[in-house]
Amino acid sequence: MGKTDTGMSGRAVLSAETRRLGRRAVLPIALGYAVALCGLAQAWLLARLVAGLLGYPVGGWTDLAGAAALMLAAAGLTAAQEIAQAAAGRAARAHLRSQAFDRLLALGPADGRAAGDKATLVVERIEALDGYFSKWQPAAALALLVPLTIIVLLAWVDWPSASVLLVTGMLVPVGMAVAGIGAALASKRQFEALAHLSGRFTDRVRGLPTLVLFNRAEDEAKGLAAAAEELRRRTMKVLRVAFLSSGILELLSAFALAYLAWRHGALLGDSHPNPVVALWCILLVPAFFQPLRNFSAAYHEAQSARGAAAELATLLAPATGAPALLLEAVPPRVAVVFSNVVLRPSAERPPALDGLTFSAAAGETILLAGPSGAGKSSVLSLLLGFRRADAGRIAINGQDVALLRPEELRRLSAYVGQKPHLFAGSIADNIRMARPDATDAALAAAADAAQVTEFAPDLGLVVGEGGFGLSGGQAQRVALARAFLADRPLLLLDEPTASLDPGTEALVLDAIQRLCIGRTAIIATHSPAALRNLPGRLVTLEAGRAINRRMAGN
Amino acid sequence: MLADLIRIWGLWRARGGWLLIGLGVGVASALAAVALLALAGLGVAAGVAAGGGALAIFLLRPLMLARPALRWAERMASHEATFRALADTRIWFFRRLAERLPGGLGHTSAGDVRGRMIADIEALDGLYLRAVLPAVAAAAVVAAVALLLGAEPGLAALVAVPLGAALLLPFWLARQARAPAVAVASARGEVNRAALDPLLGLAETLSNQAEGAAAARLAQATAAMHAAEERLARRGAIGGAAGFLLAQLAMLGALGWALAQAADGGLAGTAGAGLAVLALFMALAATEMLGLVPRAGTALAAAGAAARRLFTLADTPAPVAEPAMSAAWPAGHAVRFEGVAFAWAPDRPVFTGLDLEWREGERLALLGPSGAGKSSIAALLLKLAAPQGGRITLGGVDLAQLPAADVRQTIACLSQDARIFDATIAENLRIAAPAAPDAALWRVLAQVGLAELVRALPQGLDTPCGEGGARFSGGQARRIALARALLPAAPLLVLDEPTTGLDAKTEREFLETLEVATRGRSVLLITHRLVGVEKPDRVLRLACGVALPAAG
Repeated sequence: MGKTDTGMSGRAVLSAETRRLGRRAVLPIALGYAVALCGLAQAWLLARLVAGLLGYPVGGWTDLAGAAALMLAAAGLTAAQEIAQAAAGRAARAHLRSQAFDRLLALGPADGRAAGDKATLVVERIEALDGYFSKWQPAAALALLVPLTIIVLLAWVDWPSASVLLVTGMLVPVGMAVAGIGAALASKRQFEALAHLSGRFTDRVRGLPTLVLFNRAEDEAKGLAAAAEELRRRTMKVLRVAFLSSGILELLSAFALAYLAWRHGALLGDSHPNPVVALWCILLVPAFFQPLRNFSAAYHEAQSARGAAAELATLLAPATGAPALLLEAVPPRVAVVFSNVVLRPSAERPPALDGLTFSAAAGETILLAGPSGAGKSSVLSLLLGFRRADAGRIAINGQDVALLRPEELRRLSAYVGQKPHLFAGSIADNIRMARPDATDAALAAAADAAQVTEFAPDLGLVVGEGGFGLSGGQAQRVALARAFLADRPLLLLDEPTASLDPGTEALVLDAIQRLCIGRTAIIATHSPAALRNLPGRLVTLEAGRAINRRMAGN
Repeated sequence: MLADLIRIWGLWRARGGWLLIGLGVGVASALAAVALLALAGLGVAAGVAAGGGALAIFLLRPLMLARPALRWAERMASHEATFRALADTRIWFFRRLAERLPGGLGHTSAGDVRGRMIADIEALDGLYLRAVLPAVAAAAVVAAVALLLGAEPGLAALVAVPLGAALLLPFWLARQARAPAVAVASARGEVNRAALDPLLGLAETLSNQAEGAAAARLAQATAAMHAAEERLARRGAIGGAAGFLLAQLAMLGALGWALAQAADGGLAGTAGAGLAVLALFMALAATEMLGLVPRAGTALAAAGAAARRLFTLADTPAPVAEPAMSAAWPAGHAVRFEGVAFAWAPDRPVFTGLDLEWREGERLALLGPSGAGKSSIAALLLKLAAPQGGRITLGGVDLAQLPAADVRQTIACLSQDARIFDATIAENLRIAAPAAPDAALWRVLAQVGLAELVRALPQGLDTPCGEGGARFSGGQARRIALARALLPAAPLLVLDEPTTGLDAKTEREFLETLEVATRGRSVLLITHRLVGVEKPDRVLRLACGVALPAAG
């Protein structure tokens, strides 16, 4: 079953991380065990004191002083344990988060999930793993160690009490397992509901103006209410099981307590042979069940962590068969050859590229024209390594790009998309990301060349995420400035002048023309001005094939 | 902090019944736990002392069953109450955003808002589950202990005073934890931003080899969050240890009292000894309950920080106030801008005195370079922004006196940033007109030249569009948005750069059909250039904050 498979690999993620944590995972367990030992010793002293109160010749001020000393030790150790287990959780999250994020970036646009869903993976699902490392692991170990210690100690002094505790203690995991059947599935569904709510909310909030303009914000609020209600229902399903198992635990604990009270109470009537042991037994019942109670409380943390880990497992699984070739150096000039390239993004739709053949000599500019949907953007995403061709061959300087690692392939090119994304920050930061070590002079020159300085003279203008504060045309010019600064041998431009007014378009085309000098350029465009003014060879695409070739500008 | 938390309680008023049931069951469950241990202790003690204790043992039996049942009921009821309240809060938050940020998020990132909606609202659960509920249950336990030991005031004081002090710990801890809790909440926002921004601009991140920088930013944000979490964990651990110490002091205090009494003169077998044993076992049971109480402090601090972040965004002043009393709906649809002054930010004025007329039934083209304020005109018309001076009238009535919802019903708009949602084609179109029949959807799809393509898709109108229309090319997605704007039968239509991303042939075809598609309506076509087939009645050129007639 697929479900079991992902469950297993989710477990694999968690246990690999535990191994990596090593000593940091063991420290909280050791500290917790020390706390429990303090408790056992203190219970013995308390039993002596109570027996003394009841008229037996034991217990006194020294016992009380000893109990107080143990109290101080236990308080210090408890605090240390809590700090240590929180630290283990943080270490695991930090490591897994960076691993998951790296993988998401490496997968690139080929992973078609919405950005909000992906962010859920690296933020919420990683957070959900915390309980596994910070609570479940120490609780699970102590739930075994502490009760066993108590049983062994009690067996020495009063074996019937020990065996009653042993039996009830062993029933705890049985009860939890019975109640826990289906809990993993319920927890997985809860995560799906959370991802659904979060993805939907991100999508709708980003399109808030569209909803407001059509007076649909209230309807959408109701839609979100349904998604939130679904999350609540599924969360309660997970908790119902978790709480049921803790209810069973309480029942067992109450039974053990009542039985021991009855047994020792009855024995005492006939002058109990060892009153201190009798009282110790009673006092140990809470100490016996406390680790089991912690275990049960952490149980649903472990369940939700396993659900989250299963979701992350596919992402964190090592990539197989990925091309591994590195680029020795970025060549100064590149020639690109497409031969019979087929790209089929999904089975139910016609292929985006259907046997495309064309070539771009080193230093040549190719203008890709054709109606929207003809495959222009697909050509660029293949050259960016965002996708891999399903058939055919793409060669750069004679080398098959399928052998190169995608990130190595991207070192060759500078890219400007149709709707370039600007990151929250200043315009200067946004341009500099193309070459972080660029000098201020180079940055200013790139901004000048792309006409950015025309609307942002000092480049210090801060824009919001997605370029808030700039028009589409302005954002496009910032992206062009990145391409100027990047200074790569291959230029990939996707409708670089789509949202510019004619005056600016002329200026930008001029700039692009200069940028193309000495570089190989592939420009997807249907702007008549671009087709008229940019010198280069025209390749017209239709339904994923090149249909004719002629020199533009002729 | 307290004011914010009280306001959150106010939002939860509708769930008051559930919240009270949770508290009631919580108190009963806590008292049952104390009674169980106390009776067991008494039974043994009575057995040791006088060979009795049958009553205590007898009473144990029903309690043995009641305690687990109450505990289960308590957790179910309290979580049910909390999750209902949280779902309400999420919807409240979304409504507030729609009301206060109708023009978009601006400088607030979507990742940040998403973090507030999901994680911050989740952190509010601590207010009830980890603060109010355990505090009320523990207070009930302390009161019961004081009452039962009332026969010996000295003993009662020795036990109840430390336990009562533990009840006050959360207030101290909440103050201590406040700063780190605020830091955790805001660091969590930065983690959200650092994760989402590079994923939203994935193509740019990858093509600029900025993977390393993005990963470093996320790692840094995570480290900052963890540093704040560590400070919070330390405070929590200290609070927890203090709670443990106080409960233990109560227990040892009871024993110390008994030892002192015994030294004064035989205590064995007296009622005093019985009470001391009772006190010991009750304090033992209270340890579990009170152990949770100091955590209430950190939970309160975390909930307070989360509430603050929610309210900061939810209380953004609305850009356009709704009229207190709306004017009668005008008969005509002529639009006039009269000396309109407007700026998005005080230092960047867009217009200082704009006059403009858009006559009823007129096809008006508005040209101008990017940044001239063309889109600001659309925003003002649709009441996403309000002019700082002058006035805008619709049919002679000041727009400020008309309800925004009615204005948007009358003026359909294709904005530049029109979004295609992660839903099917039909659902995306029906955003404009929920009741539109399929035939109407096909009609508008034909008008934008998409009908054939959609018909060829195996799922037809039910084809999912993907986030931001990602399943389609840029031009196709834009045409879906365009079709959506054409769907409602609004008498006025504003088209802001409708053909961005369309190829020349499609653009031309679309503009040619526009005349038929919009016949009988007023159309405002905002564009940076005309291709020659639009046939506008009039052309205005917007530059330097003035609209001047221009040759078509």
